[in-house]
Amino acid sequence: MLFSQDINISEALQTNALSMTLMDEKTRYSLRIKPKDLAAFKKASGLKLPAKIGQSIRTSAHSYLCLGPDEWIVITANENRNNLREIFVNMTAKFTYSYVDVSHRNIGFVLSGEQVENAINIGCPLDLSLDTFPIGKVTRTVFENAPIMVLRTGTTEFQLECWRSFAPYICGLFDRFAMDL
Amino acid sequence: MANNKAPYRTAGRGNDGSKTINFTFDGKAYQGVQGDTLASALLANGVHLMGRSFKYHRPRGVLGAGSEEPNALVTLDRGKGRVTPNIRATVLEIFEGLVTRSQNAWPNLKTDIGAFNNIFSAFFPAGFYNKTFMWPKSFWDKVYEPIIRNMAGLGPAPSEPDADVYASVYGHCETLIVGAGPAGIAAALTAAKSGGRIILVDENPVLGGSLLSVPNDKIDGLEISKWLANSIRTLQKMRNVKLMTRTTAIGYYHDNFIGLAERITDHIPNITPGVSREKLHRIRAGKVILAQGAIERPLVFNGNDRPGVMLASAAQTFQSRYGVAVGNAAILFTSHDSGYAAVFDLADANIRIPIVVDVRDEIPKDIRAQAKQRGIEIASGASISKTHGSTRINGVEIYSPSTGAKRKVNCDALLMCGGWTPSLHLWSHSKSTIKWDDEIAAYVPDMPNENAVCAGACNGDFGLLAALKGGNKAAGGRKTYKVTARNFGAGTTFVSLPSYIDTSKQKAFVDFQNDATQKDINLAVREGFASIEHVKRYTTIGMATDQGKTSNLNAMQIASNAVNKTVEQVGLTTFRPPYTPTTYGTFAGYRTGDLFEVERKTPMDGWAQEHGAVYEPVGIWRRARYFPKPGEDMDAAVARECKATRDSLGIFDASTLGKIEVVGPDAAKFMNLMYTNPWAQLGEGRCRYGLMLREDGYIYDDGVVGRLAEDRFHVTTTTGGAPRVFRHMEDYLQTEFPHLDVWLTSTTEQWAVIALNGPSARKLIEPFVENIDLSPEKFPHMAVREGTICGVETRLFRVSFSGELGFEINVPAHYGRAVWETLFEAGKKYAITPYGTETMHVLRAEKGFIIVGQDTDGTVTPGDAGMEWAVSKKKKDFVGRRSLKRPDLVASGRKQLVGLLTENPKTVLEEGAQIVADPNQSIPMDMIGHVTSSYWSESLGHSIAMALVMYGFDKEGEDIYIPIEGNTHKAKIVSPMFYDPKGERLNVV
Repeated sequence: MLFSQDINISEALQTNALSMTLMDEKTRYSLRIKPKDLAAFKKASGLKLPAKIGQSIRTSAHSYLCLGPDEWIVITANENRNNLREIFVNMTAKFTYSYVDVSHRNIGFVLSGEQVENAINIGCPLDLSLDTFPIGKVTRTVFENAPIMVLRTGTTEFQLECWRSFAPYICGLFDRFAMDL
Repeated sequence: MANNKAPYRTAGRGNDGSKTINFTFDGKAYQGVQGDTLASALLANGVHLMGRSFKYHRPRGVLGAGSEEPNALVTLDRGKGRVTPNIRATVLEIFEGLVTRSQNAWPNLKTDIGAFNNIFSAFFPAGFYNKTFMWPKSFWDKVYEPIIRNMAGLGPAPSEPDADVYASVYGHCETLIVGAGPAGIAAALTAAKSGGRIILVDENPVLGGSLLSVPNDKIDGLEISKWLANSIRTLQKMRNVKLMTRTTAIGYYHDNFIGLAERITDHIPNITPGVSREKLHRIRAGKVILAQGAIERPLVFNGNDRPGVMLASAAQTFQSRYGVAVGNAAILFTSHDSGYAAVFDLADANIRIPIVVDVRDEIPKDIRAQAKQRGIEIASGASISKTHGSTRINGVEIYSPSTGAKRKVNCDALLMCGGWTPSLHLWSHSKSTIKWDDEIAAYVPDMPNENAVCAGACNGDFGLLAALKGGNKAAGGRKTYKVTARNFGAGTTFVSLPSYIDTSKQKAFVDFQNDATQKDINLAVREGFASIEHVKRYTTIGMATDQGKTSNLNAMQIASNAVNKTVEQVGLTTFRPPYTPTTYGTFAGYRTGDLFEVERKTPMDGWAQEHGAVYEPVGIWRRARYFPKPGEDMDAAVARECKATRDSLGIFDASTLGKIEVVGPDAAKFMNLMYTNPWAQLGEGRCRYGLMLREDGYIYDDGVVGRLAEDRFHVTTTTGGAPRVFRHMEDYLQTEFPHLDVWLTSTTEQWAVIALNGPSARKLIEPFVENIDLSPEKFPHMAVREGTICGVETRLFRVSFSGELGFEINVPAHYGRAVWETLFEAGKKYAITPYGTETMHVLRAEKGFIIVGQDTDGTVTPGDAGMEWAVSKKKKDFVGRRSLKRPDLVASGRKQLVGLLTENPKTVLEEGAQIVADPNQSIPMDMIGHVTSSYWSESLGHSIAMALVMYGFDKEGEDIYIPIEGNTHKAKIVSPMFYDPKGERLNVV
């Protein structure tokens, strides 16, 4: 079956100042684990879940993002999908926790370039300077009227995820921003 | 310097004068120089008459030289969609080809017919509009209001959509400094050393503030112009400093959140399409230093509004900064020492000063000496009782109250200085407090409410040295400065200036923009308005676009004098954002057109568009409403779609349904608490209709819920209700039921949902489904299975909102369109027909299924809706349970949901129409209910409706009446199960 995210990124968003690319199909799971179980869960599952809200860890296989006191998102390539699901199913016997497949709920973008902070700041009210939002920091926030998640992956690179139907609105705002560059 | 040949052009510091700029005002061509405002350029050409006043159409010139200007409002015309009214000429930068017009004058500015308002001004007192036009009432809309709107007022509102685009951005800094005069620059130089991010913002095109207007004295041994240039260069070099010109701090909100409106293209001759005209910066600052300066106060005397009468500081600014002489002979009328600084500067630029009229008896010796040195006569203890001239002042009458002597002195400009008002606007926006300072007769900052501090004149610290020190200190410095500038001096406030003319006969303007006079305030007080807020509304003082920047304090003092109270007792009017008029575009920013609001679309939306769907908004989703074939209207399309679905097969996009995955060992317990229905016994792989109440017992939402596993439910909600249902659940989970081991995850967008309804539904999907036994025995109605369809994983529900055999196919969203297209292609042999929300509504209404929000309105209980069957009698608790026992919810006579069949089968009732029992009752009739849903049913060959009717269940079989638009329709109350009441069609094999 044809996988289609139905998103076109304009040429205006493919410059050195600001480049936006659409991430391909990923597997995403939302995990809810009791904080008291975290250490044991990590040990049993082998998953590198960070303990601090806003922290992320990237391994060769997966990205682990801690979004709340008991909430994580794990993002991985589709080839790891079955492995990951097997781990989650196995863990249900040992832990009281929740895993939910949200792979297609989100659309992910990689944004980069020297204008990247300014671009995200057209709709996101957070202070994205490197001191306060270092590489690896992740948070759920807003982009004008759209809920989003931002993860800093480099000095001038961010991963931005939103729910599927909000993506055209977000792309539209970045398009307008690019016109002023 | 200025090579421009304009007659009043001299040398100025704020413009380089090297480039001549051509522009027009009221069709006439003029020349200015680069750096001019429209006001300075017109004054350079000897043009003082720039507008007509709001109410009396009196000729007006400029009063100020900055953003406080109340008089000189013009319309800027940059072509279609770019006409902006009410622009202050004093801040409008000229550019090559600029086209401007005066306002509120007809046929032209010099000869304005509306000026008869001025002659008859005795008939236009304060509150005039409220009093005179009260009767007859019907005249207000059609006669009085249009005439008044036409006669009185400012420039006409633009009629074309704005052709420009705008931007908006968030920003952060450790220190935000508002105002780049001496205090702001001193603060920035000091704060910048800390290394934190500094933003220094100024509304002018150049930094410097009052430094550009005062004589070129010395700061720390450097000429002011040199000191300023050095300071700016220093700041520009620092990477942590951002200098923003043409940017107004318009509002100060909670937690040091400041709105900055930046004007990007207004001063540029050629606009590049697509480049933002203005940009709203939403800044979160660690600390805010307000260095907004002060605004000079006009004096309130007879004839103080004639063109050529202006603030002394404005004349000084036009002279020093713009290189424009405001006249050949300028008289000063003052009650404050600072006014002398202005005339001395003018005198030093060879402008004749015929006389200075000082209301005070005592004048400091050094000022007398400096005046004498320049040969300037001072009339102390004197006043100006009249001004002469029509569209430009040509003389004044000086009155000496001690002797009663009057004399006329000719002039072509009159400068006035009534002291200074610190600009507390942003300070007050932040809810910081202010206190009255008797010495300067003005309010000054008191206690901050945010991490904010005022520095310089806005703190009541006047003069260059005080400004520099104040700015430095505000940023944490302890530097001392050496300045050679004149002492700022002091003044006296006169509530009423001496005159031999009775105040009721004077035209002494307080609020220039709204044409309100001293007389109006006195009248308001006489008529019983004692609070300044009431006086303000009655006289409209301070309510114009300038928000009373030049008038508020004078008004307060006059009012307090009239009621014989102190200014503090009379009260203070409120400062509200924005500080200066701001375009709607700036507030909208990027959010215009398609970006105004998110419009959510489903994965299959593109297919629907390609197949001619007509859309409707549902919440912020857009959904296909129907799919018309050529020549079909909605009724025809819906009738066809309904018939096709009941005959064979319809396909419908149900992706917008809210979905919540409820997971955890206590999932069933939680569901038991959130929904009225029982969940514990629901088997894995089975579905149940769920009804959700609010705490008050009224229906909140509904949807089908599938149990995927012992500890996992797939909950669906209404489309519009999804976000609030999720919040409602999460709220209860966190606050009331935190002991439950259960978690909620929104999966609305994870799944695309394809609803197939009709007798052929099973036949269509059979070849595509794997790992699910579709036989009716193994997969009964209200069941859910996991498997694959078209090779894609699916959660397949056998449910029906149409009464037909139905499946809801959930597939991961990004495969939704591909699966849809595959099924649609294969469905052609079953005459598959895509249908939209309208047909969905008809099909469900034929079965009597409710739509929450249409057949319920937040006051309908399960009992009212005839849905007691969905409410568990055994459960000890669920949200809303206790409320269902409230006396008013169990009382008889509640409106109950019933079906209606009209006497004439073709009559489709209006949704929302009121229902009466007796159509012959006299008006007002007793209304016993209303129609909630109404459709033409192609399947029944009859219109159908649902309605909420008092005692509805007991009235089954009775007739009721729906009077609407001249017709009264008769209808019979019936069960709302119109079609296949036994539900046999669900079981088609």
